[in-house]
Amino acid sequence: MGREIELSSNESNFIIEGFKSGVRLDGRKLDEIRQPVIRVLPDEYGYVEIEWGNSKLTVRVSAEVVKPFEDRPFEGIFTINTEISPMASPQFEQGRVSDDEILISRLIEKAIRRSNALDLEALCMVAGAKVWYIRADVNVLEFDGGIIDAASFGVMVALQHFRKPDVSIHGSDVIVHSLQEREPVPLSVLHVPICVTFSFFNPSDSEENIKGELNEEISIIDATEKEESLRDGSLVITINKNREIVQLSKNGGLPIDVFVLMDLSKKAYTIAESLSEKIKIFLQKEESERYKKLHLDLLEAGAAR
Amino acid sequence: MSRLELYSPEGLRVDGRRWNELRRFDCRINTHPQSADGSSYVEQGNTKVICMVSGPKEPSNKSQQNSSGAVIEFNVSIASFSTTNRKKRSKNEKRTIELNTTLERTFEQSIIRKLYPRTTISVNLHVLAQDGGLLAALTNASTLALIDAGISMYDYISGISAGLHDISPLLDLNTLEESGMSFLTIGVVGNSEKLSLLLLEDKIPLDNLEDLLAIAIAGSHRIRDLMDQEVRRHANLRASKLVK
Amino acid sequence: MDILKITQPEALSQDVESDIEMSDNENEVTGNSLVTPGELVTDDPVWMKGHGTYFLDNKTYSSVAGSVSRVNRLLSVIPLRGRYQPETGDHVVGRITEVGPKRWKVDIGGKQDAVLMLGSVNLPGGVLRRKSESDELQMRNFLKEGDLLNAEVQSIFSNGSASLHTRSLKYGKLRNGIFLKVPSNLIIKSKNHSFDLPGNISIILGVNGYIWLYKTPSSGRKNNINASSNKAQASFDAKGGYNPGQGSVSITRLEEESSWEIYSDKNDPNITGSVRKNIASYYNIIKALSHGELGITEQRIIMGYEASLAYGNSGSLIEKEAMESICEDVLNSEKMRGDAS
Repeated sequence: MGREIELSSNESNFIIEGFKSGVRLDGRKLDEIRQPVIRVLPDEYGYVEIEWGNSKLTVRVSAEVVKPFEDRPFEGIFTINTEISPMASPQFEQGRVSDDEILISRLIEKAIRRSNALDLEALCMVAGAKVWYIRADVNVLEFDGGIIDAASFGVMVALQHFRKPDVSIHGSDVIVHSLQEREPVPLSVLHVPICVTFSFFNPSDSEENIKGELNEEISIIDATEKEESLRDGSLVITINKNREIVQLSKNGGLPIDVFVLMDLSKKAYTIAESLSEKIKIFLQKEESERYKKLHLDLLEAGAAR
Repeated sequence: MSRLELYSPEGLRVDGRRWNELRRFDCRINTHPQSADGSSYVEQGNTKVICMVSGPKEPSNKSQQNSSGAVIEFNVSIASFSTTNRKKRSKNEKRTIELNTTLERTFEQSIIRKLYPRTTISVNLHVLAQDGGLLAALTNASTLALIDAGISMYDYISGISAGLHDISPLLDLNTLEESGMSFLTIGVVGNSEKLSLLLLEDKIPLDNLEDLLAIAIAGSHRIRDLMDQEVRRHANLRASKLVK
Repeated sequence: MDILKITQPEALSQDVESDIEMSDNENEVTGNSLVTPGELVTDDPVWMKGHGTYFLDNKTYSSVAGSVSRVNRLLSVIPLRGRYQPETGDHVVGRITEVGPKRWKVDIGGKQDAVLMLGSVNLPGGVLRRKSESDELQMRNFLKEGDLLNAEVQSIFSNGSASLHTRSLKYGKLRNGIFLKVPSNLIIKSKNHSFDLPGNISIILGVNGYIWLYKTPSSGRKNNINASSNKAQASFDAKGGYNPGQGSVSITRLEEESSWEIYSDKNDPNITGSVRKNIASYYNIIKALSHGELGITEQRIIMGYEASLAYGNSGSLIEKEAMESICEDVLNSEKMRGDAS
């Protein structure tokens, strides 16, 4: 494990005392997420930059024609690679993958790939011979907590933003048309899973947590790096706007009463709803701008003639 | 496999259980008194796990020392013959590492770590056979072995899995059922309703979560009682031996 | 002492050592109540919370599986098993694991390695001399990694680890025998932990469950020590008071004894086959007692030895049936003695 940021006891007490009175260092409420800023390139498909508070990451989606796996001839291939380099934060080491990083990439994988967010059968061109291989590369540029939430959000935006080249199939031959030649086609995204991370803090002793009936454990949404380094446990809820829980992970940590957990999943749902709406609006706006530009291009071309 | 009827209209499952029935839960503690400080063997249906605890002991690595409490290490090794198709599993498989970290973080909260500064407690788990509910069986085996080792813990942690078939929750799934439906695994602290562990990997509707958790918690309380029985049985046995 | 809490005090005080300090308190142990982790022990606030418990407000819960012990107002739960917990004055057997600056680290089967300070051992050339830098440099010549020694727990640090000393001739490096390990809770604390057994064998029953079985040191040397102490005693008696000048006889004696010989790595060359055989059978008897989870005492070992004479070969004692029958024999003969007395 790399060097984690170390907080003095005074500083950590200060932060936790703040939680008790419902205040956080960055002025958010305990159950408020950081509103993400999405950026895409005007003439590129599938490249997304996400700014999640001070956390920053890029997602690149790319496509390639490959032979499918023997046991799944009708399905395309989809992988997600999560790269967290020391550039993000000194707590991540070069060349060594820490347990935390494995948990992060496992979680993103479960949230998106395992839940079939991407329709793999739609990626098949010639069964058993040619399928699309879609690859999403997540690079964390700056780390300030909430990587799981930000990365899965970014991947979902990128997948919906991406266009794969159109193809025409003649028997077993496949012609991939360039983007200029034919309008590229979007991927078929079946649902949009949104991850929400809750961090738990124990304001009193473990004895109270185990045997007490007060349930005064504090849960906050979308912790920053400092808050993450102090937390006693976390829960990642992945949920989509169809009220389906895609994935729940509470890998140990502070024991939490089941009713609190039920409440949290309802909270997560409202957040997922608003974030999916945000993605939708962003993509619509982006698309209309792109069309406008395309349109202008065509007009200019016409005028030049 | 999904063509198989996992839950018949009469309310019977593939192995003849009702929805709220556990599989046979057999556990023993102090199975390896000579080779470990604490040991246990757990059978949950056909899932079989051995656990050995050694420690608290001097850490093998100086850098692992922590003066505020014990460092807890888990090491799960899954035998290649534990599933129907033999597969060599490397120790560094992501899934295994996830299991280790999950167990570590679960028991970190349950063991009274501050009592054992500058020491290491290492828990070695061996999976002999897998038939669903692996994480639950690992949790239960660890709890028992830690108790056997005389390590101070706040309470039992009992694990169980529960799945959702259509709208009916089913308790304690076997492999066949696990592959056919979404399921979650929980770890409950003692007889409370506090979860220290909660894992769900497949989709379930938000509105069914509550039912599923309710039956799972009931199941894990039952497991706790069964484990407690075994601990008491063993303790009485020892006490009776030591008389005279 | 762990044993006592779970045993019936009457039976114990009859036939095992009568000089166990705790026996007075036995009456206060109310029943053999067994608790498991997380169980509520009491909600009465008068109790002080001891080991094996934790509390919230007035409620005291158990944190281990074991029996409740109430001594005066101290409430604790004694686990059935667990690592050895050192206490000041314990006679232990340990193994050097590390040679550090001015100290050795000793594995005594506890949660942490114990510390043996250079200043807490007898060095060649007499007890009263100062430890010099050259001693520090040649620490490995005294004790090195892997060496076994017996020592006494001098004090317990605040973090629970122990500090040892070997400032007596009965402590020090171990030779001429074999080491064996049993669970520490099987060893019953008593005044004395080293015994001479029939068959020219001696034993050190470390409180930590580490045991050393060895050939009884040649009587010549023993007499010497006795003689010297007698001399000292004589001078003490004659004058009717302690005279440092006269007493120095014993110190000179001690100086000779604590020459380099006490750190020698050479075994006695004259260990006969029969001694080796006896050591082996004692080894197996103790293993058998530990298999049967019987408390290990000098008397029981001797009784086990008598029972084992029925077996021709000490190797046959490792059979499960043999181990169980030895345990039974020991318990039976204990009962008979109990009835007789």
